[in-house]
Amino acid sequence: MDAHYITPRKVLKDLVYTIIISAVIAAFLTFTGITTKSFVIVLIVSQSFGVSIYSIIHFLFWVFKPEKMASVVFIVMIGIAGGTLLGLQIGSFVLLRIFSIVFWQQEKGLLQTIILAVVFGSVASYFFYSKARLRVSQEEIQQERIKRLSSEKEALEANLRLLQAQIEPHFLFNTLSNVLSLIDTDPANGKSMLLDLIHYLRTSLSRTFPDTITLDQEIDMIKAYLNIQKIRMGERLHFKIELSDAIRQHPFPPMLLQPLVENAVKHGLEPKMEGGEIMIKAIQEDNLIRIEVIDTGFGFSSSHKAGVGLGNVKERIKLLYGEKGRLILEENKPNGVRAIIEVPTHDVQGYHS
Amino acid sequence: MTYKAIIADDEKELRTYLKSILSEIWPELTICGEAQNGKEALELVESERPQIAFLDIRMPGLSGMEVAKKIAGLCRIVFVTAFDQYAVEAFEKEAVDYLLKPVSKERLIQTIQRLKNQLNSSSEPPARMAEVIEQVLSKLSGRGEASFLRWIKAQHKDSIRLIPVEEADYFKAEDKYTLVITKEGESLIKKSIKELAQELDPTQFWQIHRGTIVNISKIDKVSRSLTGRGILKLKERPELLTVSRNYLHLFKQM
Repeated sequence: MDAHYITPRKVLKDLVYTIIISAVIAAFLTFTGITTKSFVIVLIVSQSFGVSIYSIIHFLFWVFKPEKMASVVFIVMIGIAGGTLLGLQIGSFVLLRIFSIVFWQQEKGLLQTIILAVVFGSVASYFFYSKARLRVSQEEIQQERIKRLSSEKEALEANLRLLQAQIEPHFLFNTLSNVLSLIDTDPANGKSMLLDLIHYLRTSLSRTFPDTITLDQEIDMIKAYLNIQKIRMGERLHFKIELSDAIRQHPFPPMLLQPLVENAVKHGLEPKMEGGEIMIKAIQEDNLIRIEVIDTGFGFSSSHKAGVGLGNVKERIKLLYGEKGRLILEENKPNGVRAIIEVPTHDVQGYHS
Repeated sequence: MTYKAIIADDEKELRTYLKSILSEIWPELTICGEAQNGKEALELVESERPQIAFLDIRMPGLSGMEVAKKIAGLCRIVFVTAFDQYAVEAFEKEAVDYLLKPVSKERLIQTIQRLKNQLNSSSEPPARMAEVIEQVLSKLSGRGEASFLRWIKAQHKDSIRLIPVEEADYFKAEDKYTLVITKEGESLIKKSIKELAQELDPTQFWQIHRGTIVNISKIDKVSRSLTGRGILKLKERPELLTVSRNYLHLFKQM
């Protein structure tokens, strides 16, 4: 619930405070001798000022629901001025009718009363204001704590999911079947497929990722994955990797690019009868590395469920780079998907592993 | 009598492998054709009239299950799969023949023995297969959720962005098209707000105004204005949205 929200309970509590404060003010004025009137009369006047100011301020707050500091101050000032005038009317009315006393016989007494009302009205309003501020700031601290704790939890969960989501049994068993077949028909090819599988598994199964590897290492692993898929899919899969030697040396978080490639194969090319092409390229612009994974596959149908892989990539980019990194998905022309990762070249924030 | 079979699998190496172990343990069987997708499999069954079809489940175009539904009654079917837990469970229950990849010789010998028995005893392949497949398929598809819109294709400069619907803060009618507002900015969708309202998951998106649909997970708080309409504050946006009277009932329980 929002901190500024006014509940009936709070309104009632404030009213009780107002009555107590007004009583204290009346007692103070009587016993210090600032006024010579009897305590009962001062109390009645003080209560009519207090409750009037209280009512007007609360009414205005309820109507306008001010958010900005300036409007809060403005409403309080109007409340004090209006409340003073209203209190004056109510106070003199009550005294005249019930006690048959004319309270303000001289201009001087009237002026003094108004000044006192404004001064004490302001002091009391300030008291309410600080009370509210204290409550808001305590709530803010609480919110901040919840936010921090949940973002730590998110980071852990993202990593956990990353580990769980990677290896698809379908891929694994199909690859092993291929190796089994190649042992008879083409042992050399079988051997290189098995080596690629080992490379792929070693990276995806590792429980502790290094914070960063180089882009070159990530591409190396992607190549192993694509080599495997190439044997499986034959002419239905072609791929091109175009990265300059300089860009390959950049530090890069492991397993951030791979899910995009896997996605392109699994959802783009595998379900398409004639297959297609995957192209991976990277460029450096100012302080940004932009890596694109482009496929000419099926594209996303509008009801296609967003894969766990893509969600994970997005989440990890957010955790690692905040607003500085992003994942963009575009339609590729004439068909397929263009997935773009943009990350800053430097300042990788703490990567929770 | 010699029998004919076809093998359908999108991976060439796996067709070759199955063919080679078949030739070893059932040399009399003729492999009269190989298909690399569902469509080819269907054509092969039509033209070659084999008694047996080995069908991979995951194939581009038509899946093995869809092919089976169409050719049920024409030939005996053996499904081949690398890993389809739920389908395999269903096959077990319905006594449908299936092989797991990598195909083991022992298992294939069993399957072939059963096929031979069936082929020798009755000449008609069971037409009931179509029914069984239908059941299995409906069980499998029942597992997925209803197909609501999940991706928005939005014009962004000169490209078309694919935005997951859950990232939208809200949608706003703009003439006959719609603006989608996300954390990253505004993009234009070539769909009317009326069409969108029908395609979006109603448990996630609420229409709150003739021209506005809001992602309910992005709502921060709701308050009442003096005129009796609702004012929506979103979590990560400065602007306030208006809930018109007709839609205020949506927030009654909040």
